[in-house]
Amino acid sequence: MPIVIQPYREEHEPAVRDFNQRLQSGGAEPDLVFFTRAEPRWLPRSDVASLYQEYFVVLDNGVVRGGYALKRQDFSFPDGVTRNVAYYHHPLSEGIVNKSYATIGAMLLKDAMSRSPLLYCLGMGGYDRPLPKMLISLGWANCAIPFYFHVAHPNRFFREIQALRTSPFRTLMLNLAAWTGTGWAGVKTIQGLRKLRSSKPASFTAEPVEQFSEWVDPLWEQAKIHYAMTAVRDCQTLRTLYPASDKHFTRLRVSRGGQDIGWAVVGERRKDEKYGSMRVGSILDCWAAPENALPVIQAASATLTQQGADLIVSNQSHRLWARALEHAGFLGSQSNFIFAAGKGLSALLRPFTEKQSSLHFTRADGDGLPRNF
Amino acid sequence: MTSSILDQIRGVASDLFNVPVNRVTAASSPETIETWDSTQHLNFVLALEEKFGLQLSPEEMEQLRNVGEAAKLVESKLQAGPR
Repeated sequence: MPIVIQPYREEHEPAVRDFNQRLQSGGAEPDLVFFTRAEPRWLPRSDVASLYQEYFVVLDNGVVRGGYALKRQDFSFPDGVTRNVAYYHHPLSEGIVNKSYATIGAMLLKDAMSRSPLLYCLGMGGYDRPLPKMLISLGWANCAIPFYFHVAHPNRFFREIQALRTSPFRTLMLNLAAWTGTGWAGVKTIQGLRKLRSSKPASFTAEPVEQFSEWVDPLWEQAKIHYAMTAVRDCQTLRTLYPASDKHFTRLRVSRGGQDIGWAVVGERRKDEKYGSMRVGSILDCWAAPENALPVIQAASATLTQQGADLIVSNQSHRLWARALEHAGFLGSQSNFIFAAGKGLSALLRPFTEKQSSLHFTRADGDGLPRNF
Repeated sequence: MTSSILDQIRGVASDLFNVPVNRVTAASSPETIETWDSTQHLNFVLALEEKFGLQLSPEEMEQLRNVGEAAKLVESKLQAGPR
């Protein structure tokens, strides 16, 4: 079987459609389809930008048997060096539906490792999924990026949260919590107690902005040294990730005493059956020195509440951002948002058990933009 | 095929698949070693690349159907020298 892995070109598009068709007719989950267009709609390759996506396909005598995507992006490290790192995502193999191609998944990853010595994966749906199992077997450094949520409207939360309605008993208890008001009281009490742990209320001013501009650059330069690894978040990058034309995001400029201290990007997630008909807001990206995390989180949370979110969610890897979420009344829960670093990247993050809580990763660092965050 | 390369690869396979080296032969393959799954196959390829300082293509990954074929491939690539 002469197999080659090549950059995905327009001429491969019909073969990719056939590949997707074989996956679907073989019983793969409906969302397991590869990109039907060779040119990425989000972050297409550019000769000048270091932030772009590229797709690759596995060709077996002209037949597509798999594919994967790399998002290349500059990251800053405490040694002052900015390095281009690739995010490996959307690996798909015909092995899902045909055991004759069971080795394709490993070949995809091997190919990505050859193309980018600094490689990471993010998200992946939890440790029980095949990809994180494979990465752990390969010795990749890994951790779960903590997940936090804040219930803005408890009664709607208890009525709508489908993810917790896993048995008739649980469904009954959730209905009781919604109908009797005990859920409302319990949530408000727990979240209120969390807020009391905050040593002092944060003072800040938050202002929505149409687009990011040069005021974010000093914030980037001043704060980047605090993080063991963080994607570059300067003005040019933010304008690429959150273009002014995209009205789905709210960009917040957060200041104190007339001084800029940080920013956040929030938005409403697309509907997800596990949340029922709730409106779910996401603090999908944010930036500040860690000591200013709390006012940024409070600004983001208040904005989403004003916009009508019933539930607000966020994933934050840095311990002080996680603590800020707790002090803003958020509750932690089990995370299925997994970060895994290939060996080249792991070498820059040693010792990983110490560095993992100083990483700055959010939902924006995965494949979640522009809509799936 | 030189015995030293085969022996070295038997050692790699023994460590990786957690099988006594005297049970790893040129005919050992995913069919005879229970722990040799697709993930461990990738580990095997990466270990060979590191030990012998070479790069294997996706097509060559497919050719590694047993320890003996791995030894033949490594030997041929070493003889061809760096490209």
